[in-house]
Amino acid sequence: MDNPLHHFELHPLIHLELMGVDLSINKAIIAMWIGIAIVFGCFRLVIANGVTLVPGKLQSIAEMFMEFLRDMVDEFIGEDGKKYFTFIATLFFFILSCNLIGLVPGSYTITSQIAVTGAFAVMIFLMTLVIGFAKHGLHFLSILVPPGIPKVMVPVIIPIEIISMLARPISLSVRLFANMTAGHTVLAVLFGLGMTSPLWVSWMPMGFTVVVYGLELAIACIQAYIFTILTCVYIGDVVKLH
Amino acid sequence: MKDDSGFRQGMGLAFKVGTELTVATLVGALMGYALDSFFNARPWFLALGLILGGAAGCLNVYRAAQNMIIENDNDDEPDAKD
Repeated sequence: MDNPLHHFELHPLIHLELMGVDLSINKAIIAMWIGIAIVFGCFRLVIANGVTLVPGKLQSIAEMFMEFLRDMVDEFIGEDGKKYFTFIATLFFFILSCNLIGLVPGSYTITSQIAVTGAFAVMIFLMTLVIGFAKHGLHFLSILVPPGIPKVMVPVIIPIEIISMLARPISLSVRLFANMTAGHTVLAVLFGLGMTSPLWVSWMPMGFTVVVYGLELAIACIQAYIFTILTCVYIGDVVKLH
Repeated sequence: MKDDSGFRQGMGLAFKVGTELTVATLVGALMGYALDSFFNARPWFLALGLILGGAAGCLNVYRAAQNMIIENDNDDEPDAKD
């Protein structure tokens, strides 16, 4: 029987090396490109059909997504949120399409690589720091002391706040990575069971594969939603500063 | 999309809170471990880091839950954050 983690392995398809840097093209990169192409293509299709005052089917779906994202940005970042809307929307659609592409048999889930989610989370963390210092100057450091706590507690609360700040990018990246990896491993194990067992039992793991596949569809959407909503919360915390 | 928003929020909260606690504790413990090997004070910073990390985890969970509460009834009490 195949190793259930086999489909997470990456092998270069096209060897490329540029000035000592390994730029080989593998499945993950192709999946990423396809994800970007699908998002781009969908929105191009909406525009190509003509944007009208009374929206058609495709335009309604696009507007629904946009409204949902705009509500999220408005709620967690506030009136300053317009500046970050494009970033948040790009992040959401990219992660959503990558999660969903991973569910097509034979393709690859790039969000199941901690290198990808970690890069996202660390960049978001650094971005919040830059926004905070640019907006509030050195006063930004007061984010480490929540308002209304007694003076005695300050030396205790500062390390706690530092740890909770540092835990944010890690929990952000680990959550997405772990959920995608776990889901796909479960699918692989169930499918492996179904393939190896005799026909009179194999209907059971196969049936479960279908059920878990449906659950994975929901998780792909929920994880994309959580990742973006937490990005909004983190940016909002820094912008509002208490 | 509107009628399943309760389900979506619940799933979101569940996924969010689960990792938050673990990761904060781990980060605290790791920082304590690093300080230990830096200052050569084997168990002390690790213990302190574990406790502070656990506290940070609880704080993160508390904040996540509070965000959700605000999200649920932001009509009557928009400023219930502090």
